[in-house]
Amino acid sequence: MITAERKPLSEIKESIAPYKKMLIVGCGSCVAECASGGEKEVGLLASALRMDAKKENRELELLEMTLDRQCVFEFIDQLTELVDEYDAVLSLGCGAGVQAVAEVFPRAIIVPALNTTFLGQTKESGLWLENCRGCGDCKLAYFAAVCPVTRCAKGLFNGPCGGSKNGNCEVDPETPCAWALIVTRLEESGRLDALATIHPPAQWSRQQGKGPRKIVREDQRI
Amino acid sequence: MKPESRLRTVLTKGLFAVTAECGPPKGAGPDAIRKKGDLLKGYVDSVNVTDNQTGVVRLSSLAACALLKGQGLDPVLQMVTRDRNRIALQSDVLGASALGIRNILCLTGDHQSFGNQPEAKGVFDLDSIQLIQTVRRMRDEGRIIGGEELTEPPQLFIGAVENPFADPVSYRVVRLAKKIKAGAEFIQTQCIYNLPRFREFMSQACDRGLDAQVYILGGITPLKSGRMAEYMANNVAGMDVPDEIITRMKAVPAKEQRQEGVKIAVETIHALREMKGVSGVHIMAIEWEEIVPQIVEQAGLFPRPPVQDE
Amino acid sequence: MKTNGHLNYAIFFCQRLDPSQDTNRRALEKELGSHIRFFPMPCTGRVEALHLMRALESGADKVYVVTCASSTCRYREGNARAKKRLEFAQGLIEEIGLERERLEILPISSPPPVSVDTMARELMGRETKLSPSPLR
Repeated sequence: MITAERKPLSEIKESIAPYKKMLIVGCGSCVAECASGGEKEVGLLASALRMDAKKENRELELLEMTLDRQCVFEFIDQLTELVDEYDAVLSLGCGAGVQAVAEVFPRAIIVPALNTTFLGQTKESGLWLENCRGCGDCKLAYFAAVCPVTRCAKGLFNGPCGGSKNGNCEVDPETPCAWALIVTRLEESGRLDALATIHPPAQWSRQQGKGPRKIVREDQRI
Repeated sequence: MKPESRLRTVLTKGLFAVTAECGPPKGAGPDAIRKKGDLLKGYVDSVNVTDNQTGVVRLSSLAACALLKGQGLDPVLQMVTRDRNRIALQSDVLGASALGIRNILCLTGDHQSFGNQPEAKGVFDLDSIQLIQTVRRMRDEGRIIGGEELTEPPQLFIGAVENPFADPVSYRVVRLAKKIKAGAEFIQTQCIYNLPRFREFMSQACDRGLDAQVYILGGITPLKSGRMAEYMANNVAGMDVPDEIITRMKAVPAKEQRQEGVKIAVETIHALREMKGVSGVHIMAIEWEEIVPQIVEQAGLFPRPPVQDE
Repeated sequence: MKTNGHLNYAIFFCQRLDPSQDTNRRALEKELGSHIRFFPMPCTGRVEALHLMRALESGADKVYVVTCASSTCRYREGNARAKKRLEFAQGLIEEIGLERERLEILPISSPPPVSVDTMARELMGRETKLSPSPLR
């Protein structure tokens, strides 16, 4: 999923300072999974903001809502009747959600409450790990399902480098060396000879695109 | 007279090669490099210049190599893939050759988070093996990545590094083989303090016949103190400093520790000279370049043999 | 009965600590009215940060979470979870300038059953530097 973390309250406060009546909208998908922008987190943030306003004798009215997804028009549409009644929308969606909402309501003020971070997995309750960088050219089949683009700090396709220590990355000793994992997995499944192949340089244009990338599927369009 | 790689000449003649490393200054003045060049001249076959080592901004390796070339030395351009994309890398390869630089060492480089520009974008468009392959293709086929022809191919003796002591240990010789397959012609290893372990590595490399395919130069870094030995053992990734070495350094009074470090370095070089598959020594005395002449002399490697430029 | 200058209290507690809590709390509720609110939980592991925030928002000056003694939680780690969530809520209120001390978690001091009335009086009788919440 896409992971995110709540911005510090001081930063959120600053960006919503002029607004007295706001919609505070969460998302029930990725950000709920990583406990940063789901219904509960909307409740927590709203409570904190209301208490903060009361403390400072400021007016603040918040309507709490959570959409199943904030990146899909069908769900964003649920805000259509409400948006005009509020000064601004504080979105607890990921960057994709915030912008999707802003595109549907271009005259409304949409403010993010989260810092969107990475694509990753829930390794265990409360622990999320990045494992994909959306390079558009998945090579997991060659690397025993360990992504070198994401999990090797230097993005080596022909690793490891000379710096890993005790199976951990030289850059962060708490991070496993992706190449140690790849070599081990290949060894254990009898595929170590796969490493004799010299992998050529990546086609980074598939990740960089010419600006923001897009996918068009005519079979899916009306 | 066409400039030739002295390093390549020495090695192909079967002579034991001596190279040293030279760190550029954190400033724009050329004198620091020139002074180091003067120190090393005559004591080594070639001089490596590091490329923003540890992600610390220094005078560029390419410029420093050009300065050393001007002093009559045979520089080895170290090129990391951390800071430049394939356009810049290939361009610098052409530039180096045009300046008469005849040796290149292809590395990935330390991660940018270690240096004084931790917010810099780490490029890593290529890795070291892809860079070796690229330079080899530019030289031997006259083509860049993608196949377009060059008007004139670069002339470079191509090297890589290997760390026999890094994890995963069992994979190190396999990786060496891969670098050779990619086109590496000489290898400079990480500095050696654990001779038995290095012997084991060389033995495996020879078993695979790799010694016949590549010239291996063993890395040497003279220790300055017991504390340095300890620091390297505990804080530097991929370094193997046995306890006996640390103990030996610390057993000696502080004032004599440098000379003890030199002694250990010289002993190691003697061992390397006897080792099958080892074609030379690479002395990395960063910020202590002045000690290199003493080490070379005491190791019986001075003067350097005369070789004809072709 | 001595209480701290009419501070408002909210007390979350594990029902196991006082099986007769429904009866035992009535006296205090009558005496103090809205100045005290009891939240019996099937396990303090059911307490969420949001409950603590809402308790503060609705006027509590001090919120206690009283748990079973550390290794006696019937659901094994319920009291440990409660502690982590309380600490999380403390971080959040600190960001808006409220004192962390307004939220406090503690294990019961004597083995259950302990009357929730006794428990509450003891908690409310404790010395505190807290003033009424700035939200009032």
